[in-house]
Amino acid sequence: MLRYTLQRVLGAIPTLLLIATLAFALLHAAPGGPFDTQKQMLPEIQKSIEHQYHLDEPLWRQYLRYLDNLAHGDLGPSFQYRNTSVNELIAQGFPVDLAVGGSAILIALLVGGSMGVLAALHRNSWWDHGLMGLAVLGISVPVFVIAPLLILIFAIALHWLPPGDWGGISHLILPAAALAFPYTAYVARLMRGSTLEVLASRFILTARAKGLPLRTIMLRHALKPALLPLISFLGPALAGVITGSIVIETVFGLPGIGRYFTTGALNRDYTLVMGITVLYGALILFLNLLVDLGYAALDPRVRFAR
Amino acid sequence: MGHRAFPSALLAAIGLAGCNAQHPSTAIPTPAIHVGTQLAAEQVLSRTLDNAPQALDPSLTVDVSAQVIMDDLFEGLTTLAPDGSVVPGVASSWQTSADGLTWTFHLRPEARWSNGTPLTAADFVYAWRRMVDPATRAQYAQALSPILHGLDVATGVRPPSDLGVTAIDAHTLRVQLGSPTPYLPQLLTNMYLQPLYEPVIRRYGDDWTRAANMVSDGPFMLHENIIGSRLILDKNPYYWDAANVKLQRVIYYVVDDRSAQAQRFLAGQVQFTSSYPTTDLPFLRSRLGEQVVVAPYFTTMRVGVNVTRPPFKGNRALRMALNLAVDREMITEHVLNGAGFPAYTTTPPLPDYPTPTPDWAQLPVKARHELARRYYREAGYSASRPLRAELSSSSGDPVTTLIYEALIAMWRETLGAQVSLHEMEFKILLQETRLKKLELFHDAWTGDYLDPYTFLELLNTGFELNNSGYSNSAYDTLLDKANQQTNLHERYRYLAAAEALSNDDAAYIPVYYYAVRHLAKPYLKGWAPNIVDRNLSRYMYLLEHEGN
Repeated sequence: MLRYTLQRVLGAIPTLLLIATLAFALLHAAPGGPFDTQKQMLPEIQKSIEHQYHLDEPLWRQYLRYLDNLAHGDLGPSFQYRNTSVNELIAQGFPVDLAVGGSAILIALLVGGSMGVLAALHRNSWWDHGLMGLAVLGISVPVFVIAPLLILIFAIALHWLPPGDWGGISHLILPAAALAFPYTAYVARLMRGSTLEVLASRFILTARAKGLPLRTIMLRHALKPALLPLISFLGPALAGVITGSIVIETVFGLPGIGRYFTTGALNRDYTLVMGITVLYGALILFLNLLVDLGYAALDPRVRFAR
Repeated sequence: MGHRAFPSALLAAIGLAGCNAQHPSTAIPTPAIHVGTQLAAEQVLSRTLDNAPQALDPSLTVDVSAQVIMDDLFEGLTTLAPDGSVVPGVASSWQTSADGLTWTFHLRPEARWSNGTPLTAADFVYAWRRMVDPATRAQYAQALSPILHGLDVATGVRPPSDLGVTAIDAHTLRVQLGSPTPYLPQLLTNMYLQPLYEPVIRRYGDDWTRAANMVSDGPFMLHENIIGSRLILDKNPYYWDAANVKLQRVIYYVVDDRSAQAQRFLAGQVQFTSSYPTTDLPFLRSRLGEQVVVAPYFTTMRVGVNVTRPPFKGNRALRMALNLAVDREMITEHVLNGAGFPAYTTTPPLPDYPTPTPDWAQLPVKARHELARRYYREAGYSASRPLRAELSSSSGDPVTTLIYEALIAMWRETLGAQVSLHEMEFKILLQETRLKKLELFHDAWTGDYLDPYTFLELLNTGFELNNSGYSNSAYDTLLDKANQQTNLHERYRYLAAAEALSNDDAAYIPVYYYAVRHLAKPYLKGWAPNIVDRNLSRYMYLLEHEGN
């Protein structure tokens, strides 16, 4: 397994290189530069700033310099937030995304998982229809509707929770809940399906025939295999909540990197956008690896080829 | 300063007001607020900021949000009163020479930095030289071009020590100008001309703007800055007028989405917002009444016309036709819900400035349209040979899009012209505009200082931001003459004549003047909406109140 992990990590390097190269090429192909503003700079100063950030060098040289810095873990200075480095911005913003995304996934797993099992156990009852109806709603209503709605109810009408800002647990609840909404719905549907499938399988039938109580069957035998599809969903989902929280960050005013990413793209903050792209790429590769390893741990049928 | 129409209205369409205009009576009752007469025990103000300041070094930024913060952290020779008028700041008085070229400022001896060190004339000399020194790489170094040799220093022709600013003694500063600049006191309030504390910049380099290192001379000092989230400012005990500063702390929340700003206000998290979406205006008015503020702002939204290319090159009649066919009142009332004011000329109304409104503005809409059709025919267009042109705008702001769709409909209905809307990213729009590739283009401009010149300069022949390519030697001469006047009224007379000339040439199609938009709690006092939209926390205070 160690060898497999090592292979995967090494295999990730060319992928990351490709991501970095594409990000570099696309950004530099976009018209307009980081220091184009409505107020034009004096040409002398523009030149001087371009020199400071090596923008006056030929592209291939900028590219090599960028790769070299990347290899040393240096993502460069941010162009739009002058005097601030990209590493610093990511160090400040990424924990916020991790906290919100992690909480959202936790909510999705706990709430969605229970909903799915409940619906499967009471198949075709009004429980089942009600919960699955709710899940369809959760999948269809976009997060930019959910989030302001939650603010309207819990911050403006009830004054229970703050409408935005970042600091304590109270600031985490609404964004995490809003972000968790569609994922909870997905998990519920996945969990219902897989639980039904497992419950219909022969080893469960055997267990039932032996007269084991339903509780024991569920907890001992059914839950583990029923979780498998969830694990493969978890990798992309985790990456999704962490990278896809831009709307949530905007609505709740969270200092996450998703917002840096969008404003960075619009302001042609080359280094910031490239840095975040590479980070997101690495994150997705890492999570996929975790999923595969998790799969092996849970499913005795999966073994690593030698 | 800069451009305000940056995409941030992500949620404007739904936001809070998903159920707005048609159903102003919402299920949530409007909370009643009872305002007392005594100061509230806790003097902590929370306000919103449209964007994260790109830097807290006044030399390294050009954004509006940075100016808001700098207004609280620093103070120049002059500063602003709550109504936006210029009042003495670090300088308690000043004299001007007869030719208007030499200004002598007398600094308050009691002025101090936030670490207690006395503030001296040398601190201004240092800051201004640093601003124009090419080594600083200040994005807007030309802000100091009115000062003698300012431009030469910024372009590296002369050393920074040649800049026309001298410390006569610790508390006397002499400023020499290249040409008379009657609006200098107003200019001096800008962040580019605020003093800086050299020892921290020497010691920490770029890191001097961190909360732990920063030393400032304004009513407040930096306590915390989380980029993209919030800034916390605490009262500066060494500020010369600290006895009259009532707020102990100011918290700025960075909220780039305008709907979210309104939400923060409704939830009671902030007492003052820097903006709100115009689309939510009916809903906000019905719920908040007097807490919704709309007032004139020193910004004009115009359609730029490229006069260097056909079909508009040398075709005044065509430009006039498009100009006359625009029904401004319709736009300000129905698209902007009243958060904007009809514009017939490029400079927004200024006290004492004889705004040269064209005569046709007095005509009823029907007569204007009749005239427009006459010009259209004169330009050689008709129903069988309609004008086909492209209007370019930046994407991302739904209200701007609505305005352009309305304009295009007006041109189609009144003239039969076929204008199409082409939206692009703001940076691309800037580039294409500058390269003069476009025909008609979105062009909003906020004045840098309260003088028509900040708008009129944009049509000066050869000026780098002259995006329409307009060139008229009579116009240029009038601007030159205006700049030689030491008397403000004489200056305004020449400027108004120049502006009238450009109106007559239809070098722009002015559409509307922006409005400053704020939400403010009734118990927040010590502020007033003003044309420069700068509201210093220095004067603000909170009264006792019940409800929020």
